[in-house]
Amino acid sequence: MDPFSAEGELINIHNAFHQGQYPAVIEFDTSALSPENQLPARILQLRAQIALGQSDAVLADVAGEEDTPDLAAVKALAQHTAGDANSAYTLAQELAENYPDNSSVQVLAGTVLQAQGHSEEALALLTKHQGNLEAVALIVQIHLHQNRSDLALKEVQAAKRWAQDSLLVNLAESWVGLRVGGEKYQAAFYVYEELASAPSTAAPLSIVGQAVAELHLGRLPEAEAALSAALETYPDEAELIANAIVLNVLAGKSTEDLEQRLQKTQPLHPLMSDAQEKSALFDAAAAKYAPRVSA
Amino acid sequence: MQSSPNMLTKFESKSSRAKGIAFHPKRPWILVSLHSSTIQLWDYRMGTLIDRFEEHDGPVRGIDFHPTQPMFVSGGDDYKIKVWNYQTRRCMFTLNGHLDYVRTVFFHHELPWILSASDDQTIRIWNWQNRSLICTMTGHNHYVMCAQFHPTEDLIASASLDQSVRIWDISGLRKKHSAPTTISFEDQMARANPGQADMFGNTDAVVKFVLEGHDRGVNWVSFHPTLPLIVSAGDDRLIKLWRMSDTKAWEVDTCRGHFQNASACLFHPHQDLILSVGEDKTIRCWDLNKRTSVQSFKRDLDRFWVIAAHPEINLFAAGHDTGVMVFKLERERPASAVYQNQLFYITKEKHVKSYDFGKNVESPPMLSLRKLGSPWVPPRTLSYNPAERAILVTSPTDGGVYELIHLPRDATGAVEPTDVKRGQGTSAVFVARNRFAVFSQGNQQVDIKDLSNATTKSIKPPVGTTDIYFGGTGCLLFITPTSVVLFDIQQKKQLAELTVSGVKYVVWSNDGLYAALLSKHNVTIVTKTLEQVSSLHETIRIKSAAWDDAGVLLYSTLNHVKYSLLNGDNGIIRTLDQTVYLVKVKGRSVYCLDRSAKPRVLDIDPTEYRFKLALVKRNYDEMLQIIKTSSLVGQSIISYLQKKGYPEIALQFVQDPQTRFELALECGNLEVAIEMARELDRPNLWNRLGVEALAHGNHQTVEMAYQKQRNFDKLSFLYLATGDQEKLSRMAKIAEHRGDFTSRFQNAIYRGDVEDRIQMFKEVDLYPLAYLTAKSHGLTEEAESILEACGLTEDQITLSKIDEPLRVPQPIVPTFKANWPVKAAAHSSFEKALLGEVGAGDDEVAAIEFEPEEEDEVAAARDNFEEEEEDVAGWDMGDEINVEEDAEFVDVESAEAGAGSTEADLWARNSPLAADHVAAGSFETAMQLLNRQVGAVNFAPLKPRFMEIYKGSKTYLPASAGLPPLVNYVRRTVDETDSRKVLPVIPRDLETIANVDLQEGYAAMRANKLEDGVKIFKGILHSILLNTVSSEAEVEQAKKIIATAREYILAMSIELERRSLSTDTPEGLKRSLELSAYFTIPKLEVAHRQLALMAAMKFAFANKNYSSALSFANRMLANGGSPKLLEQARKIKMQSERSPQDKIDIEFDQFAEFDICAASYTPIYGGSPSVSDPFTGAKYHEQFKGTVCRISEVTEIGAPASGLRLFVPGQY
Repeated sequence: MDPFSAEGELINIHNAFHQGQYPAVIEFDTSALSPENQLPARILQLRAQIALGQSDAVLADVAGEEDTPDLAAVKALAQHTAGDANSAYTLAQELAENYPDNSSVQVLAGTVLQAQGHSEEALALLTKHQGNLEAVALIVQIHLHQNRSDLALKEVQAAKRWAQDSLLVNLAESWVGLRVGGEKYQAAFYVYEELASAPSTAAPLSIVGQAVAELHLGRLPEAEAALSAALETYPDEAELIANAIVLNVLAGKSTEDLEQRLQKTQPLHPLMSDAQEKSALFDAAAAKYAPRVSA
Repeated sequence: MQSSPNMLTKFESKSSRAKGIAFHPKRPWILVSLHSSTIQLWDYRMGTLIDRFEEHDGPVRGIDFHPTQPMFVSGGDDYKIKVWNYQTRRCMFTLNGHLDYVRTVFFHHELPWILSASDDQTIRIWNWQNRSLICTMTGHNHYVMCAQFHPTEDLIASASLDQSVRIWDISGLRKKHSAPTTISFEDQMARANPGQADMFGNTDAVVKFVLEGHDRGVNWVSFHPTLPLIVSAGDDRLIKLWRMSDTKAWEVDTCRGHFQNASACLFHPHQDLILSVGEDKTIRCWDLNKRTSVQSFKRDLDRFWVIAAHPEINLFAAGHDTGVMVFKLERERPASAVYQNQLFYITKEKHVKSYDFGKNVESPPMLSLRKLGSPWVPPRTLSYNPAERAILVTSPTDGGVYELIHLPRDATGAVEPTDVKRGQGTSAVFVARNRFAVFSQGNQQVDIKDLSNATTKSIKPPVGTTDIYFGGTGCLLFITPTSVVLFDIQQKKQLAELTVSGVKYVVWSNDGLYAALLSKHNVTIVTKTLEQVSSLHETIRIKSAAWDDAGVLLYSTLNHVKYSLLNGDNGIIRTLDQTVYLVKVKGRSVYCLDRSAKPRVLDIDPTEYRFKLALVKRNYDEMLQIIKTSSLVGQSIISYLQKKGYPEIALQFVQDPQTRFELALECGNLEVAIEMARELDRPNLWNRLGVEALAHGNHQTVEMAYQKQRNFDKLSFLYLATGDQEKLSRMAKIAEHRGDFTSRFQNAIYRGDVEDRIQMFKEVDLYPLAYLTAKSHGLTEEAESILEACGLTEDQITLSKIDEPLRVPQPIVPTFKANWPVKAAAHSSFEKALLGEVGAGDDEVAAIEFEPEEEDEVAAARDNFEEEEEDVAGWDMGDEINVEEDAEFVDVESAEAGAGSTEADLWARNSPLAADHVAAGSFETAMQLLNRQVGAVNFAPLKPRFMEIYKGSKTYLPASAGLPPLVNYVRRTVDETDSRKVLPVIPRDLETIANVDLQEGYAAMRANKLEDGVKIFKGILHSILLNTVSSEAEVEQAKKIIATAREYILAMSIELERRSLSTDTPEGLKRSLELSAYFTIPKLEVAHRQLALMAAMKFAFANKNYSSALSFANRMLANGGSPKLLEQARKIKMQSERSPQDKIDIEFDQFAEFDICAASYTPIYGGSPSVSDPFTGAKYHEQFKGTVCRISEVTEIGAPASGLRLFVPGQY
């Protein structure tokens, strides 16, 4: 039986991870789990630690256990987030070659490969999965990243046939929905709203999702309510800040404070790097024009 | 046969055997006649015994209310018929005549008649007005058990133990007793030849039909209210249905089921049902058309004897061996659900309809649920799922069933639903977008199902659970008889439990933060985590509740709509004449469903609870608003405020001086207290004021209070304590004047005035003391003279040792000069608001410095301006802006369509508008477009706008952990999915610019912040330059805003230039005068132009340029406006007219039309060569051609341009 399925004992920790409730994952009591589920649970906890930026602790934790491919994959991801891109890439490639059927390897090495821009390699590895929903979600995200929402949609619909109710499939469907738009915005909104409003599943991740959906639906006041409430609870959440900047721009409000905050928490956030790049582009383009007579 | 799940007992009484029952037609009353000779009058709604009537001797079997008069009739085993007045609570009279038990008595519906049936085998009609027997009907040859009038016709039905039912025609009796004036010839003939007379020649009442069919005695007979049908109940255990025509009557059918004697039966007043009761202890309900049993209800021990129906509402009463029960056959609460602005509900015809709260319209039926459950059982609950547009309906039939149905997109009529998913369950509610929970009470299990009706999860609810409700997303509320449990479905975990008994309904607030738990007599408000917030008790049954948007719970009882704040404060909003079920509160309207499942809107006055809510939230502005706009005064609100500890607010409402005084003391507002004490001027009040003021250290008030009370001692001491020597000596004088020596002595001591003391002692002949005083203070001479006056010498007296005399300390601090300093009593913002302090000062600080004394005018001008703000019709639109529709579609190079191109690329491809290209990040093409359209060359000032648009175009959705967020593109075409039509959102739309930015600019003008103003208006120009609009009308509006911004920038720049000049040199002065004149040229709003004119006029006048001043004054007067402003203009005009000459000749032709060059600030007269800016339309002298426009700072003056494009028809 799939340990992540609705009746499996890992369902709660698994869902918590994908809802972005990383502290809850780390604090999850794994002692009651059956022996074969101990490793997956540990992997999830290590990944949660990485997501919280504790890569060094994770590296120390898995040191000496690289023989287990799952843990080696964790190491690759930790190396990547710690900034050691080259070793991470090498390790990920190696793992992809030797253990292409290990689901942890698929997901984690796939993540590393994609994050370093090797989308084709990542896809090649991930498509070897056998009913691994995390892999499906990654594939969807990679397709979306490549602006192939048609392929992403296909992937989601295929997954829905065998795992209609899984949280991950729902989330992946929402990702696609937010790209496709129209009525799908509302559907995505419902998914995130449901997650964000239930006390047991509320996390920055779901609130951001809800707010983003509201933004796309043009419901700025609602989005603002969601974001500002969330920012009070999670003042350092980069995605919250980034989307709050977008919201304030759309609402015609000042964004300087928020931009400074984002600069502080995550200087490499795409919004910041993108804006810098465009700023340079603007200057370059503007330099081509000049009045015939300078005043 | 099933037992009835639907019979809802509303009231039960315990007594001896109940033989007769009657409903009051209007009030919630029921009369019960008992076997024990008592008649009881119950209020079945409140469950109280109102009265007892005990004059019959032996059992009372017949009872009836009069339909309109305050009286009732009873008949008993003492052979008597008694008529009672229930107001005086007396038996008015007794009708004697029957020779055996009286079985039933009934009033006629309009004539003053009483019909009685008796064991003496007769049926009699009595006139209760003249208290006489008017007809005796014989014919039955056994006890007559029941006799009833037909509800409309002149017929009587009777049932007898002789096994027959007889129908009697009493039209003869009516004729005989109607007014005799209209007797026609035919009537006389008829009377002379009685054709149908019975064997005794009696034509008043004749037997029309004899219905034979029962095998045993017949106990009861009833007419159908509208149809020619009769139903009878007999000892043969059968209920028989009969039909009659004008000429005959026949048996239709028999309802079999009672297994003991059937005691009574009747037709349902509104539905096609027959109800019967019997000695087999059952109440049975039959389908009138099919004559099949619909439902039955059984009591364990008590035989039923009688049944009665309420004439108006859906209520029945049945009498049995140990009392009476009042019940309804079915729930009347219509199943309904509210989602945002829509109500979904099920009508009596079992149609699903919706109701739009915004438009107040009912939709046509959307679905028919005719097949749900059994025909006589209405659906119980409705749950709505907006994501799937599906409803979940439950019905109590067969132990509970549910159906899941998708609503059709459009309401096209009561169609039978297709694709229905159904199952067994007591309750069913949606718990999430794609999940619903089904609770089955029988096996105590909750199944979580997906939309294909497959169970995904099963939960064991707490023992004894009776119902489930939605508990917030992903949660359920389990209702047990003693508690409510909040349960997380996903974690399968109980989150909270609250002990609250008998909860029947749960109503969530609109924001999902609070829920109201309704039980029969209690409302408990809880948070979403099931923490109790407040609870309240009602003696009357609570029916329903709804939340208003501000978090006030409105609930309905049987006869009231009430409110409750979160803190449990509650009160009545209005009374109800019939029971309703609240569904939504919106402003002053309460939406509800009545018992016939029709939406109704009740008007309410929310003032009281809004006020209380504002008070609780300390929202004083709103309170103030409420006070100002409504007539909210009265003792109740004052005592409420006082009780809740807001005396300072209550103070604002009270007029009565006494109360005001009390409140002022309570909140320490001495000023008001003094005012009121003066008004009332009573010693008691002054005394209390003095005490309070003393506590405040407000000794000036204390002084006044003492003065008013003529409390000299205290006053003196007060002066001593505050060191007020002067007043103290005045007190001494007063004391002297009053001849009060004690007081005088005391004052003297306080003042250290030895002479006065001695003088006083002398006056009262206390020479020894006087001497002693003088001596001890070293006043030897005085001492000597005293001795002398007494005729003594020093040797003759003996003195004890004299100590140092008392020295009164001198005050160091002149405390009396001021009150004890206290921290200024903090006026609540509420009081401030009331005193008009809020809002007034703040925005007036921005003083205008044109001339100091102009402040008032400006304020006035502003008022004036605000009136005119709407009116833009009179605007001169300035020069044309070339907005042409022929700008070519810009060809953007990009990768081929399809795979891999981002939505941003699509935007650039889909739109020829510069703003859309900016949003797409395609800055080069955007610049190309702008360059071509408006000749933009200097892009640097546009950078913030570029970045703003670009930054607002994308959102960041975190997806898989470890990967960067997914980027999605925000569209203004929200409903569009066709990639060839999607377009980006552009921040700061025209509406924002017009309503926010433009007003800010005007405000800057008013406040004389011209540098800011220039910046704001330039910002407006840049925002419009990169923007999109949705219609041609908006294009026009955009053009107007561009022109407005241009004029203001020009005007402000001119004035700024003038201010930077020195007027010390003649050239400087001349230029200043010119500039101030030019300042009046741009087309500003009238109120603003008046400011410019005023400044120019004064400046010219001060420099003796009377001609110019005169022309400005004339223009001002022509513009009109505030009287004060015009008054000044008039003055200057008068003065200037004396010598209308300019001392300094300036380049300003007041009679010519001209433009101002926006670069040099010099006039461009008509006909002289000029160039204009392609974007703003600003005019320049020719030498500025090719430079950057001073107004927009972006575009090139005189550049070839196709015109700004903001709109593509059919695109939006």
